[in-house]
Amino acid sequence: MSNPIEDEIKKEIAQHKILIYGKGTKTAPQCGFTVETMEFFNKFGYPYELINVLPNPEKREALSKMTNWPTLPKVFINGQFYGDTDILGPMEEKGEIQPLLKEAFSDQAN
Amino acid sequence: MMTFEDLTTHITQALGEAEVSVMDRTGTMDHFTVKIISDAFQGKNLLDRHRMVYQALDSPLKDGRIHALEIQAKTKDEAQGG
Repeated sequence: MSNPIEDEIKKEIAQHKILIYGKGTKTAPQCGFTVETMEFFNKFGYPYELINVLPNPEKREALSKMTNWPTLPKVFINGQFYGDTDILGPMEEKGEIQPLLKEAFSDQAN
Repeated sequence: MMTFEDLTTHITQALGEAEVSVMDRTGTMDHFTVKIISDAFQGKNLLDRHRMVYQALDSPLKDGRIHALEIQAKTKDEAQGG
């Protein structure tokens, strides 16, 4: 039996190379960590999507279950879960982010 | 709101031996940065390490005593290597 919320999430993850589930919108973020995550991706210049889950507690709960990760924001790159900037920061220090994003966007002319 | 001692106790109860340092980010004792050095992290990737810490702090995260948490999780070797 499929769960409509999970299906919606899977579709969104497949649709966006970089997807942030966070609090607020790009123009009006409502959480310091969401801002931090947006700033993180702004540096690299690839397009990302931010989906606000504050108005949707059911979706927030479903996301936590799917990722086994209790907090927001939650970042997906190329369909894969990467936690938040606590994970992405150390990856960047090791030089792992740039190649990951390059690979994710390799099928698009840029 | 939560004391540093409470927070540290939650972590050491879950992970065993661990060196825990806590910083209050906002002066309100509910936004924390936690640095943990423990060999319980050996062989685990960063995602799983963070999951272990979230699990250890499950109840204070759920009841709102902790509002936000930044985590650094290293093994003893990694901490020494810089």
